[in-house]
Amino acid sequence: MRLAVDGTSCMGHGRCYQMAPDLLSCDDEGYVTIRDQTIDVPGDQLEAAEDAEGTCPEQAITLLP
Amino acid sequence: MATHPEAVDRELGGCPVMHRDFAPEQPAGCHWELAAELREASPAYFNTYAQGYWVFTRHDAVRDIYKTPELFSSESITPWQPDPIYRFVPTQIDAPDHIKYRRIVNPWFSPREMDAAEESMRALCRRLVEEVAVTGRCDFVTGFALRFPTEAFLSVSGIDPSDADLFVPWVEDFFSGFGGDPAGLEAMGKALDGIREYWVAALEERRGEAGPREGDLASHLLHSTFDDRPLTDAEMLDMLTVLVLAGLDTTRATLGYLFRHLATHPEHRRRLIEEPELIPSAVEEVLRYYTIIFGDGRKVTRDTEFHGVQLKQGDMVYALVSGANRDPRAYERADEFVIDRKRNHHMGFANGPHRCLGAHLARRELQLAVEEWLRVIPDFRIATDEELRERGGGAMMTLTSLPLVWDVTS
Repeated sequence: MRLAVDGTSCMGHGRCYQMAPDLLSCDDEGYVTIRDQTIDVPGDQLEAAEDAEGTCPEQAITLLP
Repeated sequence: MATHPEAVDRELGGCPVMHRDFAPEQPAGCHWELAAELREASPAYFNTYAQGYWVFTRHDAVRDIYKTPELFSSESITPWQPDPIYRFVPTQIDAPDHIKYRRIVNPWFSPREMDAAEESMRALCRRLVEEVAVTGRCDFVTGFALRFPTEAFLSVSGIDPSDADLFVPWVEDFFSGFGGDPAGLEAMGKALDGIREYWVAALEERRGEAGPREGDLASHLLHSTFDDRPLTDAEMLDMLTVLVLAGLDTTRATLGYLFRHLATHPEHRRRLIEEPELIPSAVEEVLRYYTIIFGDGRKVTRDTEFHGVQLKQGDMVYALVSGANRDPRAYERADEFVIDRKRNHHMGFANGPHRCLGAHLARRELQLAVEEWLRVIPDFRIATDEELRERGGGAMMTLTSLPLVWDVTS
C-alpha cells in the first residue's frame, strides 16, 4: 500500500503525524514533510496509515493499492 | 425557534427565512442544540438580522465555504458586520498575501516549538493547579481557564507573564462588542486601543536592535520580511492584536466545556486517569463536540449558485461549524461524546487556508490541563444547582462561570 499527500490541500493540522508518528513527520511550519509525494507504507504501518487518512480534516491523504 | 417569514426585498428561491440575533447569553449548551435544530430543519436559511445574511448549517456546505476562499473572502468574519472596525492579519487577508503572513508566524506556533515550550507550560499549569487544589473549590473560569492560556501564551510570545492582568480585561471587553451588540462597541474600541498601545510600546522598545531577541514574538516580527521588505508597523500591530485575542479567549472557552464535561462524567475522568494515552483523542473529541465557534462568517466575492442558493457578490454567509461538527451526515454517533473516537476529522480549528494558527498551542494546553489537573484533583463536581450560562454565539461560546468543588485531604 502507498500513501499520497495532496500538498495544496494540506493545511498543517498535524493530525496525520500524530496518528502515524512512525510513518509521518512535520516540517518547521507544522506541515507534513511529504506534501505532493507518495510513499510506500510498511506492513506494520497499515492501520496507522488508515488512521492518518481518516483523521485528516482536509482529506489531503489518499491511500493507494 | 424564532423562525418566521419576514418581508425580504430579494428573491430567496424558497430558502427559509429567520430573524435571529445569535449574540445574547443563553443557558449552557443551548447553542449546540440550536445549531442541531437548524441543521436538521434546513441546509440553508436567510437571516434578516442586521443587513441580512445566509446561514449554512450542514457539514458539506460549511467545509466547502472554508475550502473555497476565492469565493468566500475573509475580509469580514462576522456576517452581521460586513465592514468591521478592526483588521486581523492574517485572519482577514485573502490570497495571495495571506500565506506570506502565515509563513512568518507558522513556525512560531509549530508542533516543534510547542515541544520546546512544553516543560515550561507544564510548570505554569502545575503551579496554578496546586494553588487552587488546597482551597477545595474555585470558579474554574476565573481561577484557572482565564489564567493558564493567558500565561502560557505570554510565555511562548516572550512577554512578561505579569502582564496577564492587563490582557484579561482587554480580551473580555473586546468580545463584548464582537457579537454585534451596540452596547459593547465602545468597550470593544477601548480594548483595541489598549492592546495596540501595549504593542506600540513593546515594538518601540525593541526597534533598532541588531538581531531578533530569542523567544520574543514582537522582536521576531521586527526582523521579518514580506516580499523582501520589512513589515510595516500597521501590519505588526494587526498581527499581534489578533494573536492576543484569538490565543486567550478560545482556549479559555474550550477549557470550560472540557472541565464541565469531566465534572459531570466521572467515568471519563477515571478512564483518562487509567489510560492517559487517551487524553489526545479526548481533547480532539472536545474540539468536535464542544466547538466553541458557533459559526464563521465570510463575504461572497462574486455571484454564484452555492448548495442550491443564489448568492450575490457582497453577500455575507455564516457557516455554522458548531452544528457541522455534530452532523450525522459526516460522523458516526455524531451526537455522542466518544472519548476514544478514531479518525476524528473535525473542523474545530476550521478548515482550508485559515486553519487556526494556534491549533498546536491550544491542543497542547488542553492536554496539559487535563494531565496536571487530574493528577492533583482526580475527583471534582459542579458546586451549584443553578443553571450554568454561556456567552452568546456572536463571538465564541464560553461559560461565564463554572464553580467546581472537591474534597481536600490534609
